[in-house]
Formats: sequence, structure tokens, C-alpha cells
Amino acid sequence: MKNEERKNGNETGEKNSKELPFEIDRRSVYKCVQCGTCRSVCPVFDAVGWESANTRGRMLIIKSLLEGRPPSEDVLPSLASCTTCGICAAKCPAGANPPEVVEAARAQLVKCGVTTEAQENLKSAVITYGNSFGETKDRKHWLSETERSKLPEKSGYVYFVGCFDSYRYPEFAKKTFGILQRFGVTLLPDEQCCASPLLRTGFKEDAEKVMKHNLDQIKKVGAHTIITSCAGCYTTLKNNYPEELRVISLPEFLAEHLEELNLKKLDLTVTYHDPCHLGRHNKVYDAPRKVIQAICTLKEMKNIKENARCCGGGGGVRIGYPDISLELARNRLQDVPESVDYIVTSCPLCVRNLRDAGGDIEVIDIVELVAMAIE
Amino acid sequence: MDITTEIRKIVGNRLSVSPSELYCYSSDASQVKGMPDYVVRPKSTDEVSRIVRLAYENEIPVTARGAGTGLAGGAVPVGGGIVLDMSGMNLILEIDIDNIQVVVEPGVIQDALNDALKPYGFFFPPNPGSSAMCTLGGMIAYNASGMRCVKYGTTRNYVRDLEVVLADGAVIHTGSKMLKSAAGYDLTQLIIGSEGTLGIVTKASLKIVPLPKTRKLVIASFENAEIAGQAVVKTFSNGVIPSACEILDRVSLQVLKRYDPNLVLPSEGDVLLFEVDGTDSSAREAAEQIMKVCAPIALSISLAESEKKMADIWAARKLVGAAVSRLDPTKSRIYVGEDVGVPIKQIPELLKRVQEIAEKFDLPAMKYGHIGDGNLHLALFIDVLNKDEWDRLNKAADLVHRTAIELGGTVSSEHGVGAARAEYMKAQWGPALEVMRAIKKTLDPKGILNPGKLGL
Repeated sequence: MKNEERKNGNETGEKNSKELPFEIDRRSVYKCVQCGTCRSVCPVFDAVGWESANTRGRMLIIKSLLEGRPPSEDVLPSLASCTTCGICAAKCPAGANPPEVVEAARAQLVKCGVTTEAQENLKSAVITYGNSFGETKDRKHWLSETERSKLPEKSGYVYFVGCFDSYRYPEFAKKTFGILQRFGVTLLPDEQCCASPLLRTGFKEDAEKVMKHNLDQIKKVGAHTIITSCAGCYTTLKNNYPEELRVISLPEFLAEHLEELNLKKLDLTVTYHDPCHLGRHNKVYDAPRKVIQAICTLKEMKNIKENARCCGGGGGVRIGYPDISLELARNRLQDVPESVDYIVTSCPLCVRNLRDAGGDIEVIDIVELVAMAIE
Repeated sequence: MDITTEIRKIVGNRLSVSPSELYCYSSDASQVKGMPDYVVRPKSTDEVSRIVRLAYENEIPVTARGAGTGLAGGAVPVGGGIVLDMSGMNLILEIDIDNIQVVVEPGVIQDALNDALKPYGFFFPPNPGSSAMCTLGGMIAYNASGMRCVKYGTTRNYVRDLEVVLADGAVIHTGSKMLKSAAGYDLTQLIIGSEGTLGIVTKASLKIVPLPKTRKLVIASFENAEIAGQAVVKTFSNGVIPSACEILDRVSLQVLKRYDPNLVLPSEGDVLLFEVDGTDSSAREAAEQIMKVCAPIALSISLAESEKKMADIWAARKLVGAAVSRLDPTKSRIYVGEDVGVPIKQIPELLKRVQEIAEKFDLPAMKYGHIGDGNLHLALFIDVLNKDEWDRLNKAADLVHRTAIELGGTVSSEHGVGAARAEYMKAQWGPALEVMRAIKKTLDPKGILNPGKLGL
């Protein structure tokens, strides 16, 4: 991947954009003073090596669009390959927030008709099927019909399952809901994708429709608190849905109810991978660690919390640039300490990417560790 | 001949002509701009040599680039042509502790080298603020230094040998692993600081030194920057050589405190940071002597000994240059007039005149830098959307450069001349510039290597 040539727009027959102005808050872009600090941390740059694949390059390209360069597909390998992990924002001395700028730029590109095929497929899956995979089966297929029929219609607490746990890791959903049910938590009658994939990849208007659907469902149930085990859903529900909604992550919920869970100690040593959208974006660092340490020994990775490196699974990169995405995951596995039994994380996207990277140590979701300590 | 095809024969898909990619290589951290026609990421000396030969035969400009953190447009291809992104040649080829040196490729990051050396108890001292991302090749090309220059010197003091690709593609070595040599011209020193105008460095042997046993930090504040400057002069004339001697004026201090409110720094005045290193007793003795010298004219003095406290202060200090936007989100720090230097005795005068210039043009300014070696980093900040502020900024920077020359100093102490300061070379060097031009003409008769730089 490092050596892969950046596609030449002309050679690949780029399509030019519709004649629309490219608008974005200029100050947010001009905050970047091009010092290059982000080069030292951008995980995509680390894997790709071209200047356009780091944050400074992305900010420069966005600046060029603002200054009149017509948006074209030529910008996509740069702007669509950001995982929005936010480590550049955490390190930026000038206080720029590149993930926000990149997302705003993607939204403008969508308006101008400049998108990748992967982006379009993702959007179409969410809009048509209500999930990011284009799955047609019932979202609650992991529950038996009897279980489904017994779900409380009203509750203050809802478990927002997410596309990943619903369709790729139903065992996580089962275990999570198994725990949460004890606390009177229910499911939405017709949950759809949280809209994270749409928001991260620039489809703001389409995202509004999906969010409205979920909000109506939440109102129907009468929930005031949403619990989610996916970092992508968490940051979206917390930061893109109306503020009055109380959103907590599964690790936070578990940490709050440790005593009631009555967990047994396990003779294990595990490490913990901070998902970017749970950790750096929302500062949920302590809760998962508290849960893990209530069960077993925690041995930290080389880079943790605000310095944790991205697994490569977010920002639409996994679907758009799978090779880059997996290289990020392999790089992240380099941070795993020696002699640990499991790599624990709290996001199904991270689980999948880190598993697919093919390390020797099993990657599990925090709910699996908790389930072991309950059984 | 189709140049794209020819380049691709050499580096395969490590060539880009994508408009977006080219745009990303059209600037560095300065205000200089210039679009390349090709960006190439070589992996070996042979590839660099073949690309340069191709460029020589076809009279195409070649500009080498490291991490693009330069502040003078040195890596910006103002004449178009090929940009050689050397950052992919990033192997530490040899750590030779017996000969206390290392052999590196030019794309190795400064911090990465020091991380690799730490287990051996050694380090490579020149440490620019950009050490987390800048490359050793870039440091050699611009004779970079940093905070510890006052005791440890600049990159120039650490290079033993360079492998250099010349303008026609020929490859030479300029030195050896020897500590000294009395045979012939010192081409190593000629290449260092030549900003890629005489050849392209593809390998370097660098001297390393043992890590000091301990470091201590004296933090002293003064009523104004001029008095701080006097304290520096007094310290040196008393025979103390700190390992770093930095000034942070009151505006820089506000910025740093905004960046990290927990930083232990004085709340008033202009501040000097004196770092001393060595054994515990020698460092203590030096720290005490500095405190004694400064006491009569300082507002406050304290000593930091905890590694964490010192590391936090230095980490914040390294980022102060770009952090100004945190003080006022509508202002950005623009790197112009940011690297002047004067003889140490002239520091108080420079500080006074720089402040007057900033006031004359009504520009907020931060003054910080390696005051111990006479190097002042002036940070002027403006609203980048305001054209009038740009005009005033450029006029102020021009005056700052001319003031430094008038005081017997230099327009650049460690960032280089590039294109940004090329116009001052005649004023600073007089007839010596003609000698530089003659050297350039001999080594690069077709003028393909980084044209438009150094006022050549």
C-alpha cells in the first residue's frame, strides 16, 4: 500500500463536479498553519506515505477547493481516506479540528456530486435497508420470536444495538442485551442505522431522515436514556442527535453497575484498545478500564487514551480503502504488550478490523469479558 | 521523450502527477508557493541518482523535500519540475556505538533516531521544535539546530560523512568515519546548509554523544525582555554554559498557559528558561550560579528538577510557535521574520527594536527562542482574511531582517534562507555571495538543483 500510486485524475477519466460553490467555514480551515505536526501521528499517512494522505495535505486540498479549484474525483483518495480518528486534533498546536473540517468537506463534495462508489453503496444500503450492510433480515433476528414478543413496549432505557452487533456480531448483541435486560432495558421497535456512516461520509441530508426515524422510535418507547455498545453509534447519538437525549456507552453503564453485576475474578491478563470515537472524541477512558480491572489484570498498550492509534475501521475507510484500513489495524497490533490473553475493546468496528489484521492474540468485545465473569 | 514514462521506469508507482497530490507538495510551513510537475518518492540512492540524471539530461528542476516542515520555502519547487520526497528513505542503517556514530538514510525522523539511541545511553543533540516530524536530511540541508545548540552546537557539528547525489547523477562520499581529516576541502561542511542546491543527501554518518546523567531547569522572570536579555549576557560572561537558554516573552507565556493551564511557569514578566545538564553535582552547581547571577535583576527565580515538570515545559515550548490561535481564534501565526539572530551582546538591542517594529505596524507579537545563541523567534500574528494585516506583516518582517543584518547578525539562524529570505543574501554577504554563486555554477552548471533558493 505504501507504494501505491496516487491516482491521477486525468488518467482515470475523472468526472468533474457539478457547478456548485464549495462552501465551508474558512476560519476552521485557515487555522492550520501547515506546521506538519500531524505528520507524526496521522495513522493513514503512516500507512500510505504520500503527503495528501496526512492531515496537513487534506487541509491544503480543502483550502484549494475553497480558493476556487473545481472539486473533482482527484481529491477523493485524500479526503475519503481519513478515518476521522481525531489524533491530529488532539496534537494540533494551533487548535484546528481536522475531522470536523474533513466531514464538512465531504458534505460539500456530496453536494457537488463528487463521491466514491463505496460511499454511494453505503448510502444506498442505509437508505434502502436501514443498515449499513444492505441486510434484508430482521434486525432483531438474534432474538427468538418469543423473546421479541416479550420486549417491554415502554421503558426509560433503550439498548441501541447498531448495525454491527445486529448483523455481524449478534452474539455480542445477545450478551449485551442479556445483561441490560436485568435493568429493565428494552429495544426500539424498529431501530435503523444510527446514521454514523452517512454523517462521517458527507450525506448529511440523508442522515437527517434516518435520525428522525430513530428519534420517533425513541419517543414511542418513552426512553430518556440510550445505551449503546458501538463507539460509532455512541458518538453519533451523543453528538449529532438532540442534546436532551442521554446517551451512555456500554462500558459506562457496566462501570456504574459493577456491584449489581456481581462479577467473579478471572485469572487473565488483557490489554485494552481505546476506540477513537469512544476515547478521543468523547473522553470515555476510565469506565472500560474500571470494568476490566474489576475482572482481571489490565496491561496497557504502548499508546493509550488520547494517544491511542486508530484501528482503521472508522470514517468510511474500511469500506472505501480496505487495504489501508487493514494496514492501520496491523500497525495498531504492534502496540499490544507481551503476554496478554486477550485484546479487549468496546466497539464492534474495532473488533472486526483488529481481528481481520490477523494477530496471534484473540480480540474480544468488553461484553464478552464481562459475560465470562458472569458465567 | 515522455518524462512521466521515464520516471515510472525508475520508481514504478512511487510517482504522482495527480493535481491534488502536486498541490500538497506546493508548499511547506512557510508562505512560499510553487507547483511541482511530478512528485517522486525514491527508496534508494540508485533511484535518486537515476532520477537526477534524467532531470539533468532534460534540464528539469529537482527539489528535495523531507517532512516539509521548513519555514523558508526551501522544499517548495518554485521552478516546478520534480519534487523528491525523501521521507520514505527512513532506515537507520547502523548504530555504531564503538565509533560513537550512526549511519542513517535522510528520511529518518529526528525523534525516531533518539528513541533508537536511548537504550544505548546516547543521543543526537540538535533538536528543532519540529523534532517529532522533521527529517535528518532536512536538518542537514538547512543546518538545523534547536534549543540545545547553545551547548551542543548545530547539525553541522555532528556530520562525519555524507553520501551525495550530484547534479549529473554521480554519487560521492564527502567524508568517512574518521574523527578528523586533513586531506582536502571539507565537502561535508559545504553540503550542510546548502539547501539541496549543490547535491542531494542520500545517506549520512552522524556523531552521537552520551546522554547527560541529569538535567535541571532554572526558571526566571524579568520585568521586560530587555532585562532578560541582559541576564543572558551576564550569565555567559560569568562562565556558565547552560545546555539550553530560552526566552519566552509575556505573550508567549499567555499562549503556553492557554495551551496547558497546569504548566508551572511564572505568571508575570518575561521568562528565561536555563537548562543545565551533567552530573548531579555539576548541574546543581551551574544552576545555583545562574540563580545567583540573575537574582539581582529578576522578578522571580525557581528551579525545576522533576523530569515530568521539565518535559511538560519543553513539550509546550516546542509547540508555542503554532499555538497562538488558541489565544485568539481569529489570529494565525505567520512564519515571516521568525528566525533572525545577532551576537549575544546585541540581544537586548534586538529585543527592543523588534518590539518597536511590532508596535509601529500595530501587530501583536510573541518573542521567544534560543536567546542563548542569539537566535530570536519572532511570531507575528494576523487575521489571514485581512489583506491590510498581510501588508503590515510583510513590511514588519522586512524591517526585522534588515535590523538583524545591521546589528551584525543573520536573517536565518537555523531555519534557512530558501526563497523566503533569498532577497537578503546580498545585504548579509556582500561579495561572498559571488563566491557562493561560483560554487553553485561549478557543481550545478545547468542550475537544476532547487533553483530560486539562497539568492544564488
